[in-house]
Amino acid sequence: MFEDRDEALDRVVRHLRRPVAIDPTFDRRVMAAIETPRRRTIAPWLAIAAVVATVFIGRAWLTGAGTASAFRFELVAPQAASVSLVGDFNDWDPHRTPMTARGGRTAGTWTAVLPLAPGRYRYAFLVDGAEWRADPRAPAAQDDDFGTPSSVLTVERS
Amino acid sequence: MGIEEVETSDADLVRRVRAGETAAYGGLVSRYRDRLGRYARHMIGNREDAEEALQDAFVRGYRSLARCDDPARFGAWLYGILVNRCRTTGARAARRRRLFVHDEAALNGKHASRPDAAERTEFEDAVERALARLSAEHREAFLLKHVEDLEYEQIAHLTGAGVSALKMRVKRAREQLQMLLREAEHV
Repeated sequence: MFEDRDEALDRVVRHLRRPVAIDPTFDRRVMAAIETPRRRTIAPWLAIAAVVATVFIGRAWLTGAGTASAFRFELVAPQAASVSLVGDFNDWDPHRTPMTARGGRTAGTWTAVLPLAPGRYRYAFLVDGAEWRADPRAPAAQDDDFGTPSSVLTVERS
Repeated sequence: MGIEEVETSDADLVRRVRAGETAAYGGLVSRYRDRLGRYARHMIGNREDAEEALQDAFVRGYRSLARCDDPARFGAWLYGILVNRCRTTGARAARRRRLFVHDEAALNGKHASRPDAAERTEFEDAVERALARLSAEHREAFLLKHVEDLEYEQIAHLTGAGVSALKMRVKRAREQLQMLLREAEHV
């Protein structure tokens, strides 16, 4: 069946390069999936907001008594003109959670406060609309698919 | 050849999707479906799992389109997502097989009856079995290098492995495939 080793491998490669059959409904299934809004878990978050335990992630921390369900994210970036917080919680949309420079841009500390339901979130900071930065004081995401640095925040259900 | 750079068209489609024209993503799906689907099918070895990984890659790509730094190279970016999805799906499928496959023949690499079995040749069966017996790392490196025709630097970018490690994986994969095909001749 396989006369010569290199020739055999060439034949294998030729075979593997042939098109494979894909379900004719595949494109429709993909488009249906992306047009279906993902489920949000706001209601459970509201239910447990009063008892959320302390979760500490790098420079993000709880904002204080009475607002224990909100997380403050911070990034020190004195040279930045703009910083956005992006992650699984906002579909990585840089327009949805712009960060604010505390004390003006020259102070260099950018913050955003976000309510989060229990779960595991990957997130990053987008500096000047182009530079992706992980949170330097939070665990790095190990399973990130997108080729840019990101961090992980796990909000425990208490 | 490598990963094709379809600069204007991909960039334009990505721009339209980002502007809210969701349907424009269909153009990207149809453009990359077949090539990425081939990789997923050979990497995972099972059509249903491969299509699940492929769909997952497209959906994740859509939802993370803001993270595609160079829209002109959307295809290469999506390839990276698929490589990771195949690793995840492949590992899950392997665990499932270990849990639920008790058939002696299947455990020995012989396939149970399959809907498309009658249409496949002895050669195709031998290739599929040989690929399935490679480690995931070796199979991934072999497919990306020899079937997808990527440069080692591109594969390194996609997989996170070093070039020298990848060359070794491809070499080992070739040797193992040759040995497995030789065995198949004598069965």
